[in-house]
Amino acid sequence: MKIKEEIATILLETGTEREAVIPILQAIQKKYNYLPEEALREVCKKTTITPEQIMGVASFYSQFRLKPVGKHMIRVCVGTACHVKGASLIFDALHRELKLTGDEETDASGLFTLEKVSCLGCCTLAPVVQIDGVTYGHVAPDKAGKILTDFLGQKGKKAKSKIRNTEGEKIEGEIRIGLGSCCVASGSESIREAVEETVSNNGLQINLKSVGCVGMCHQVPLMEIVPANGVPVLYTHVDPKDVKSLIEKHFNPPTLLKRLSVRAQTLIENIQDDSRWEGVERYTSDVRERHITSFLGRQVPLATEFRGIINPLDINEYKSREGFTALQKCLTGMSPDEVTREVLDSGVRGRGGAGFPTGKKWEMVASQKAQVKYVICNGDEGDPGAFMDRMLLESYPYRVIEGMLIAAYAVGATKGYFYIRAEYPLAVKRMTAALQFCRDEGIIGPNILGSGWSFEVNLYEGAGAFVCGEETALIASIEGKRGFPTQRPPYPAVEGLWDAPTLVNNTETFALISWIIRHGASAFHSLGTAKSKGTKVFALAGKINRGGLIEVPMGITIRKIVEDIGGGIANGKKFKAIQIGGPSGGCLPESLADTPIDYESMAELGAMMGSGGLVVLDETDCMVDMARYFLSFTQKESCGKCTFCRIGTRRMLDILDRLCTGKGKAADLDELEKLAGWTKKGSLCGLGQTAPNPILTTLHYFREEYEAHVTGHCPTGKCMDLITYTINDKCIGCTLCAQKCPVDAIEFRPHEQHDIIQEKCIKCDTCRLVCPTDAVIKR
Amino acid sequence: MIELHIDGIKLSVESGTTVMEAARQLDIQVPSMCHNGDLPHFASCMICMVKDAKNGKMFTSCTVKATPGMEIITLDEEIREARKTALDLLLSDHVGDCDAPCQISCPAHMDIPRMNHLLAQSRFEDAYNVVIQDIALPSILGRICPAPCEGACRRNSVDEAVSICFLKMYAGDFIHQQKAKPMGNFAFSDGVPASAAMTTLRGSRVAVIGSGPHGLSAAWYLQSFGYQCTIFDRNPLPGGALRYSVPRNLLPEEVLDLEIERIKQSGVIFQMNAEIDPERVKELEKEFDAVVYPLEKPLKMAIKASAFGKEAAWETRQKLSGQPIIGEPKMFNSRFGKLQESEALEYLKESVPGDRIEPANGFTHGMTAEEVVAEAARCLHCECRKADDCLLRIYSNEYQADQKRFQGPERKPVTKQFQHDTVVYEPQKCIKCGICVRITAKHQEEFGLTFIGRGFDVVIGVPFSESIREGLTHTAGEAADACPTGALARKGGRK
Repeated sequence: MKIKEEIATILLETGTEREAVIPILQAIQKKYNYLPEEALREVCKKTTITPEQIMGVASFYSQFRLKPVGKHMIRVCVGTACHVKGASLIFDALHRELKLTGDEETDASGLFTLEKVSCLGCCTLAPVVQIDGVTYGHVAPDKAGKILTDFLGQKGKKAKSKIRNTEGEKIEGEIRIGLGSCCVASGSESIREAVEETVSNNGLQINLKSVGCVGMCHQVPLMEIVPANGVPVLYTHVDPKDVKSLIEKHFNPPTLLKRLSVRAQTLIENIQDDSRWEGVERYTSDVRERHITSFLGRQVPLATEFRGIINPLDINEYKSREGFTALQKCLTGMSPDEVTREVLDSGVRGRGGAGFPTGKKWEMVASQKAQVKYVICNGDEGDPGAFMDRMLLESYPYRVIEGMLIAAYAVGATKGYFYIRAEYPLAVKRMTAALQFCRDEGIIGPNILGSGWSFEVNLYEGAGAFVCGEETALIASIEGKRGFPTQRPPYPAVEGLWDAPTLVNNTETFALISWIIRHGASAFHSLGTAKSKGTKVFALAGKINRGGLIEVPMGITIRKIVEDIGGGIANGKKFKAIQIGGPSGGCLPESLADTPIDYESMAELGAMMGSGGLVVLDETDCMVDMARYFLSFTQKESCGKCTFCRIGTRRMLDILDRLCTGKGKAADLDELEKLAGWTKKGSLCGLGQTAPNPILTTLHYFREEYEAHVTGHCPTGKCMDLITYTINDKCIGCTLCAQKCPVDAIEFRPHEQHDIIQEKCIKCDTCRLVCPTDAVIKR
Repeated sequence: MIELHIDGIKLSVESGTTVMEAARQLDIQVPSMCHNGDLPHFASCMICMVKDAKNGKMFTSCTVKATPGMEIITLDEEIREARKTALDLLLSDHVGDCDAPCQISCPAHMDIPRMNHLLAQSRFEDAYNVVIQDIALPSILGRICPAPCEGACRRNSVDEAVSICFLKMYAGDFIHQQKAKPMGNFAFSDGVPASAAMTTLRGSRVAVIGSGPHGLSAAWYLQSFGYQCTIFDRNPLPGGALRYSVPRNLLPEEVLDLEIERIKQSGVIFQMNAEIDPERVKELEKEFDAVVYPLEKPLKMAIKASAFGKEAAWETRQKLSGQPIIGEPKMFNSRFGKLQESEALEYLKESVPGDRIEPANGFTHGMTAEEVVAEAARCLHCECRKADDCLLRIYSNEYQADQKRFQGPERKPVTKQFQHDTVVYEPQKCIKCGICVRITAKHQEEFGLTFIGRGFDVVIGVPFSESIREGLTHTAGEAADACPTGALARKGGRK
């Protein structure tokens, strides 16, 4: 009885059409935490949705669960950056901690369910574990138990203080807190609470402002203090307990400051700040005049213009910084053809990966004669190790909306969709709010900006399928089907969503449009290389000192990104390779680091620009393991339609598994290469066609590493089955390793040299990490 | 109309015609499994790939429409290799036997499950015809064969092997007890009908040296193919080792005589007391169109000698008719090895419980008809219901696919769904082409079939916790007939 009523309520919201199936399932899951069969049957009774459709869809998307789960969800991120930093060891540790066996996901008490997620987009905090809403960064295997205890201890605690209203009173300054996903994940929310508390208690007249991602994700959480008269200071790696003293340093009455000065100064020494970076002129000026650090110095923000300055959802602030002027310009002074021409002349190409000229795509859609046309913003960024779209949607929602509106005007579209991946709740939330603000302001809806042109935009939440980044699969998903790609041609530009001409552009592409219109095609055209114009946003992560989101001109070399922007390799290790383009891209060796990055150069080297994931690898990273990592991703994400992709990726993974466990044979390398070739040729969509790239590039550039694995040796010591742990005579007998060993493979012998019982050792790396004298040797 | 070239031949087709349909207009059959008539195409199996001659790119001919000026190659080395690789991959995830393990381990490759199926229905003469197609001497071999088939019998995983050898013996003896003594009525594995009581001969004459199991078998099959055979043997009586080495208590003389008498009846001429030396062989080679020579070394197992005799008959026939000499044509066989415990129970669902039956009247007399019917019913029918018309098998045979090439670390456990009255579903044989899903959707089944999961782990199943019975209320026959493999098949034996 109850389910019937609840389903009825859900259907009132979602509608009962076939295409509503994913929103309906999302609503059911939100309600019950999984999809009870009874609920699904009820949906079939009350709608035009068939059992075949609902089961096909519910079992296709990874977001949906057909079985009940534990009270709390533990998600271990296994994105690229987390993988290279040991995510699988973390997963194993939690698996042990929860006493799970085999494929079991939920612990005996039903308290926790453990699962892997492909990427949480917090690559700079790797390795990352998320329990419900709480994110833990830089997790070490021996901390697995601790985070569970910490999580259970945190439950129920919630600060109640809200910042008091400063309206109409004298403002002493502004405090900006980063609210990108990285910042939030690193605890910016508690920083915010601490600021609110301090400000309330001291009666300060201060604006507290949330800003989008600055891109300096390696330094999060960030807090910037901007006094009304004085130099703004950016604090990094802020700890909530230091917030009070930091604020007091800038704003407190002298008497109080005096009282605290001694304490504050000692504290501040422990915190990195950017006060030594000169020329911070961000308080009054509109545009950052001079670049302040090498991190920001090489960057050219177009899609990320005004980074760290504007409040993502403040539509007035967006407007005050030339927001919607490009749209205004198009609607009042340019014909749709002129807009398309401008985009074509700029030379901008699709930022989703394949690099199809954007203007050409627009022309194709524009030339179709149809009553109904659609525009879709592809925000289904599924590559592990990439978070460009997420950051753009979270931090610049209006810019992306403006880009879409201009595109819609140019191609004559009647309706738009934002397709945003389910794993990005913040982006969905921000974009939903931004769309509503736009409607309120008359920027979306009938008679936009008084021009007589009307356009409506909907937001569609993906449900977890990498393949839906492929445009035909994305369209199938919006239509309420399994994400099976279809044969092209017909291209979506001719026959797309509900068979109408449809323009599908990547989020980043849309984010560049307003800049192009404002500055003109030639300004954009003057940036970049011969065939790749403008800038590209990359998610820089991995073994570098400074990771984060960067926007650089096309044609910048790999080395400049790694060394100048990324600050070189972390921990004094050697630069080995970069992985560019995620699962569709490839690994390029350090010897090619002087290659200028553009679409053509990357494709020539066997990699791919992809959507912009850029993971830096050092000498400790095993290339066979990297290939295996990406194949395990693609084979999991294959839709399962084409033989070569469905079975071929699994068989390639089988071969890589053999190599990484010392069971490989020399003939395996040739078979791997052959099968990779056929999978490229024999797959219908981009997923299968590019899935072999990580194998082909590593085989090409690092063949000797594969050959070493055939002989049972992993040169980097990454492949667990090919290594052993031993303790040498540096051991001081401190017993730390014996205490920490989760399987009692080390006998407790104080003051004596310890020893590892090989039969028991599970190679979890804990002993090596805890050893104070580096006496544990992995080889 | 659209003009294009396929394999160098110019043709014009209606707009909207797919490349596959266009090729069919030229009688070029592009292989295809996932495409089915008017159902919407799906492009899954990938074996219909052809090549665009202009850019060398391959694509699925079932989905791509002909465009003006296209130049298509439907088969070359690269396409052959691509199709073979696709088949190798599909086979690596296809858990099922085409022929049953007993048949594969039988040196004569006798269709044991079919024999069992007929015996269980008391169709003894039909069973004899199945046996005689591959084993020329059923009554003899039923008594002396060490029965490698029983060693391979999957029933061993449940309790004990089916008593195949006694069943075969019964089929042979049954004929000898008939007054009319039918000679046998069967078709050869290449579809050529044969009759042991040949009325029309092809004109060529064949000399067969030796009248042991090898010679008798060779002569029986050659005579059935329509060649007049003459057996030459130096002994006074025919049978070779069967008569002069095998102990009489194992093989009574009258059984031997009856079996040889049947071969004589088929028209084979026996020349006994014929001394065969190299000189005489040369003469025979001149006198006859072909000579079947004896085995170089005598074989311990009479069934093997008999199987080689059949093989020699095939080779002789191929030689005489100017065909390539390959012996008896062998079909591709999908195999998956030993049964796991859970699987033995799945197989038992198709059979009856009960221990192996031993002949109550003693081994020399063999089983009674009742015992035969009961024992034959114990067969688990491990063979595939679509062994003769499965497209995966036919193409694997044609492209010489290799099931072991991409063997994974572990195989999926076999399951069989019998809830339905008329069809059986074996998901592990499925190649995920989705034809059945499209059929049930087209005919608006309430539950139908759907894709469940994705990627390598995707399966076709009935939504919710419903069974195949609810999934296929009025489309079962159509879906089973359209299924390109044995995953979904009609109940009952093969056609």
